[in-house]
Amino acid sequence: MAAPVKPVAAPVKTQGADVVIDSVGKTFRRGGRRTVALAGINLEVRAGELVCVLGPSGCGKSTLLRIVAGALDSDEGTVTVGGRPVHGPSPDRGMLFQTPMLFPWLTTRKNILFGPKAQRSAGLNERDDPELDAEADAILGTVGLAKFGDAFPHELSGGMRHRAAFARAIITRPSLLLMDEPFGALDAITRLRMHDFLLSMWDQYRTTIIFVTHDIEEAVLLGDRVAVMGGRPPGIQEVIDIPLDRPRHAVDADTEAFLTAKRRIRASLHP
Amino acid sequence: MTAWRSLPTLGDSLLVDDTKTAVALLGAEDLDGLDERDARDDLAAYRRARRRARTRRLGTGVAGLIGLAVVWQIAATLLRDPVFLPSVTQTASTFLHYIDRPYPAQGSPLWYDALASLRRILIGFTIGVAAGVTLGSAMSSSRVVRHLIDPVIEVLRPLPPLAFIPLFIIWFGIGELPKDVLIVIGITPIMAVTSVAALDEVPEDLRLCARTLGASRLYTLLHVQLRSALPGILTGMRISMAGAWTSIVAAELIAATSGLGYLIQQAGDYLNTALVLSGIICVAVIALTLDACLRGLLLLADPGRRG
Repeated sequence: MAAPVKPVAAPVKTQGADVVIDSVGKTFRRGGRRTVALAGINLEVRAGELVCVLGPSGCGKSTLLRIVAGALDSDEGTVTVGGRPVHGPSPDRGMLFQTPMLFPWLTTRKNILFGPKAQRSAGLNERDDPELDAEADAILGTVGLAKFGDAFPHELSGGMRHRAAFARAIITRPSLLLMDEPFGALDAITRLRMHDFLLSMWDQYRTTIIFVTHDIEEAVLLGDRVAVMGGRPPGIQEVIDIPLDRPRHAVDADTEAFLTAKRRIRASLHP
Repeated sequence: MTAWRSLPTLGDSLLVDDTKTAVALLGAEDLDGLDERDARDDLAAYRRARRRARTRRLGTGVAGLIGLAVVWQIAATLLRDPVFLPSVTQTASTFLHYIDRPYPAQGSPLWYDALASLRRILIGFTIGVAAGVTLGSAMSSSRVVRHLIDPVIEVLRPLPPLAFIPLFIIWFGIGELPKDVLIVIGITPIMAVTSVAALDEVPEDLRLCARTLGASRLYTLLHVQLRSALPGILTGMRISMAGAWTSIVAAELIAATSGLGYLIQQAGDYLNTALVLSGIICVAVIALTLDACLRGLLLLADPGRRG
């Protein structure tokens, strides 16, 4: 194995924000038919915490995430991030999707710099080009893509694309990262690597993460706590603490403590 | 030419499955795998190989055209009837003769007619593309506009533009205006439909992604939504360009005093078959060149297509 890629500069530490989701509800109306997508959601996430939201398809977990992101308005209740109520999308709340959503016409480096440059054009960001370039270099190194700054997304593997998407989200220094089944479409082995990657990144950046998944093992491996969603109308059934030591690694998934936590969640899904 | 042979299986395997091979070539997923120089070399090698494969495809295409010319030459030699089918060499010498000499004697040289057609194409194409993309963007962003304009376009789109020629002669005479309008009428619906399709295909999450990265609505519209639709719009432009040539040559055949269609018509009247073919080939060459430009833009706009 070659020596690890060394970051050019130390990664920027981000301050995580606490999240308060207070009795949030959402009803979709289509052609006179009303579908209650979410009802009475309460969840508090501490600053720097990694909380997994677990539930079957269609249980409203993506809807919840979009409300926290500011992409959807809730009908009832409020969401505050770092004490401020959520209105519309903000670079303070980064989002990662199942597909990496890289801009296919930009190289990895330019994808990563999209956020800062877009913010600069809106006058939100005063960082100049040399400073941004240095930071892009540092982040490329941190996510292990130092050699792929000039590659286009189609020239990267699946795992590399997700790492690039992570780098693009983290460079705007969000205090909250919202992840919507980000590794759901990856093969099992790449997925394990991405879990280790995410845990090591979270360890470095200490941003708050809300991670949506339908995979029990993934939820146990990553989360400090797991919020189990389900029911009619959809809501949070239970929030379960995961009493496993940190740092965790994908290989820990066979330990007795891990299996106990898994059984505990499975029981909650099928009471 | 010899470069093709020096690039045997690598180029082939790259064409099989771009993504998988790229992964295999670019190497491991490991965060700390591979040393920097190797990976950089591999990325460069991968791109070089794809470029060479493209050159080779181009070479094969040229070989096909040469094959056509050979068949033509043999057929003409066997028929020995230059009015029915002049040979390649006869056509070529006619082409070179009339390129700067007027035909008929009181008319204008070939280059002048070529320029006249090209001018009409470029004017009509520019206006038609601008109008179509504008309409398409409006339709994509507003449901009301879409429902309002969609039927108009659906009525116009299947109509052959040629059906409008007599009408446009009545309205606009036989000058430049009817020809430009004809091209615009032909192109606008195509561009509107392809722009709507391309804009509709931009994933909602891509927009959301840009917004969560701090991009304003306007910035997202320009730098993400329109940019993401650009390859689709350019493909629509290629289709439109072909349609524009169909319209303009037909219009010039019927009512014009200049242009390649007019030249072809004149040459046909005097049974100058070699000049008819020269005119047709001239259309083909200009159209192919313009399409190559659009294809070049498409490659620039969509790196995934390079290869």
